[in-house]
Amino acid sequence: MADVEVQKPEAGPTGGAAYPKERRGFGSSVLVVVLSLVAALAVPVLTYVLLNGTFNAMSGRVSAVLVGVVAIIIGVVGVFAMYTLVDLGIKRLPDNIGRTVQPYAWAGPAVVVLGIYLVYPAINTVQLSFADATGEGFVGWDNYRYVFSDPAMLRSLRNTLFWIFVVPAAAVSIGLGFAVLADKLRRTESIAKSMIFLPMAISFVGAGIVWRFVYSFRVEGSGEQIGILNAIKVGLGGAPVDWLAVVPWNNLLLMVIMIWLQTGFAMVILSGAIKGVPEDMLEAARLDGATEIQIFWRIIVPTIMSSIVVVFTTMIIGVLKVFDIVWVMTGGQDGTEVIAERMIRNMFTFRNFGRGAAVAVFMFLAVIPVMYINVRRFREEEATR
Amino acid sequence: MRLSGRVVAALATLALLMAGCSVNVYEAGSGTGGGGGGEGAAAQEENTGQVDIAGAASGEEGVAIQAVIDQGVNDAQDEFVATYTGSDSFEQNVVIQIEGGTPPDIGFYPQPGAVVEQAQQGNLVSLEDLGFDIAALEEQFGSYLLSLGEVDGQHYGFPDTINNKSAIWYNPKAFDAAGYEIPETWDELIALSDQIVADGKNPWCIGTGSEAATGWPATDWMEDIVLRTGGTEVYDGWVDHSVPFASPEITTAAETFGQIIFTPDYVFGGPENISGTDFRDAPDPMFQDDPPCYMHRQATFIVAFFPEGLTPVEDYNFFPFPPIDGQDGVLMAGGLAAVFKNRPEIKDFLELYSQEETQCLYGSVGATTTISANRNVGPDCYDDPLIASAVEPLVEALQNDVARFDASDLMPPAVGSGEFWNGMNNYTNNGPDNLENVLTSIDAAWPASSSDGASE
Repeated sequence: MADVEVQKPEAGPTGGAAYPKERRGFGSSVLVVVLSLVAALAVPVLTYVLLNGTFNAMSGRVSAVLVGVVAIIIGVVGVFAMYTLVDLGIKRLPDNIGRTVQPYAWAGPAVVVLGIYLVYPAINTVQLSFADATGEGFVGWDNYRYVFSDPAMLRSLRNTLFWIFVVPAAAVSIGLGFAVLADKLRRTESIAKSMIFLPMAISFVGAGIVWRFVYSFRVEGSGEQIGILNAIKVGLGGAPVDWLAVVPWNNLLLMVIMIWLQTGFAMVILSGAIKGVPEDMLEAARLDGATEIQIFWRIIVPTIMSSIVVVFTTMIIGVLKVFDIVWVMTGGQDGTEVIAERMIRNMFTFRNFGRGAAVAVFMFLAVIPVMYINVRRFREEEATR
Repeated sequence: MRLSGRVVAALATLALLMAGCSVNVYEAGSGTGGGGGGEGAAAQEENTGQVDIAGAASGEEGVAIQAVIDQGVNDAQDEFVATYTGSDSFEQNVVIQIEGGTPPDIGFYPQPGAVVEQAQQGNLVSLEDLGFDIAALEEQFGSYLLSLGEVDGQHYGFPDTINNKSAIWYNPKAFDAAGYEIPETWDELIALSDQIVADGKNPWCIGTGSEAATGWPATDWMEDIVLRTGGTEVYDGWVDHSVPFASPEITTAAETFGQIIFTPDYVFGGPENISGTDFRDAPDPMFQDDPPCYMHRQATFIVAFFPEGLTPVEDYNFFPFPPIDGQDGVLMAGGLAAVFKNRPEIKDFLELYSQEETQCLYGSVGATTTISANRNVGPDCYDDPLIASAVEPLVEALQNDVARFDASDLMPPAVGSGEFWNGMNNYTNNGPDNLENVLTSIDAAWPASSSDGASE
């Protein structure tokens, strides 16, 4: 390993991983830390100063388009030049120090920028969740008390829980069933799978609009029913129903949309996993006289379990964040609130920053365990490959 | 090899930095932006020769506004040129611009609430600081419209165009065929409704469905009724919560509304389907050959959603929401112009723009159904006969100080865009027995701290 490093001293971050074994003095360790910090901060700070200076110098004097063009040039050429400069500086350092500092210079700016735009807002949101409606006064745990006591919030928690149980379970079982059955097709497999996968390409809002036409309702006698469900019902001699107002089933009708969208995702991933099940294992089972159903439950499902878990958890995260469908279809009316919808409602409609942030923090905390399982499973799966 | 490594690293960070720099630009200016309004209020700046106006009305309506500005302001003098830019996302954009220290000169806000909010944060120049004589403006617009933008005794909102919401639409041909007369009082309206029921039809087409905003058309009904059963004093008290929802005055108004929605056979489809019927589809049955329902209460914008191929006045028309027990009023909606910078030509612009001759142009440039807030601009200005007939009661109400702004737009959003809607849905869906419950739950949603803030 060491030989390889010597041959390619500047091969990138992996090169830096070969930490020099000899002990350095305290002074030089401090130097390395300082240099690494400077290297990581150099590009973002320089870019900021440069862009800010340009903006102040040009804004209001020349057209906004020109300012934009200059900013883009600084962004593209300038950043590249700055990287080259920092890199040249590192080359001048003694070899062992330079090798330690180099990864910070390369990956550091990305980490710094991510920190500013991801970590800082997250901390700020937590802070905001203890503030009042305007985001200024401190109100302690009041906003969290609201999350767990307001009737609409409680309905949203209950509904979201149902979404978590119903949507991933339905999408995974339908997707898995279809993946297994499609696997048995000879020539038409890809066509069949494309049909199931197609809704994946539709945005949630788009799907909401499509399904509004499915559930659309008009009072009897006010003209033709344009909703397909009601058209069928009336065609068969029934009376039209305002589907989205049928408590509590309207929640299920909204979940159907998400299932329709997500089944394709489950199917594609699971179909891939099924194809990875070793053929000799299946053959051995068949020779031993196992039925296809036994093979499915005893061999295929256990073999692809980690894929199922990953799909399942990914979907739970998606469901926790579901907002667009509810917003477009019912706006959370008639007991169909979900937590993401409550967050937007509090933040932007009611302009209550504190409560909105508290709901956001709650959502964030709720996602963490699922994320943890997801990442762990994903790593396990990667390791077995 | 070495170079390509660097290229990849540079490009990877580039995307992040690009996203970063655009926002950095805002943040850089925000320090000066906050104080900018305050400074502007004190010191008047030089004439720059142009006035930038941003607003929410876009498309054809934006073109109409520019046409009015061109003919009434830009052609009338050569000191400056005023340009209007409309955007659907004006209300979000302008906040970003204010934070960034680059607001437009004037913002045409579609609602008064945001103007008051910006004034409280010190981002606006008051009309007093611009050098306006408030008494003279009250002469033009009436004191009520000016009071909507009042914060700590200073006026920040310059009345812009408005529209009439107190309209009951009907199908004149169907009315003629059945021999119905236009009711002029609430009692006549109820008598007409009873007659229509006796004739085997439903008098009212009502739908309050509006996705995430379902319920708002019912709040308009309530507002029209409160204005007439309670009068302007109760109405203003209702807006600032000194008259709560559960008070006898508002309960009476809700019961009066209940008379319309819960009297058997009054509402086509029954009260339980009101919130399930889209407000845009609700008037459609009126235009069927044998209409099942005859009347629809909605603001003047609803004509855009009427079925195609109908001729105004001939196929559809409206009559004013009638007075109740002799008490009349007009419900309106509309915007305020807010000023962000203090320059002499901005005051000149507002003066030229608001004068009668300029405002009169709104009636002839087409593509807009808005009405001038200048109460000296009479119905003669308006080419469209429907708008002209909407102007008359509105101008009269402005002159008698019984015109009032949409209350739900003035209430804190947690009520006006939240529990008030929900409460109305609850009322229409679950029936009259539920009323007390509905009203107390709306009161409960009223934010504790802002009850005096909302009253200005």
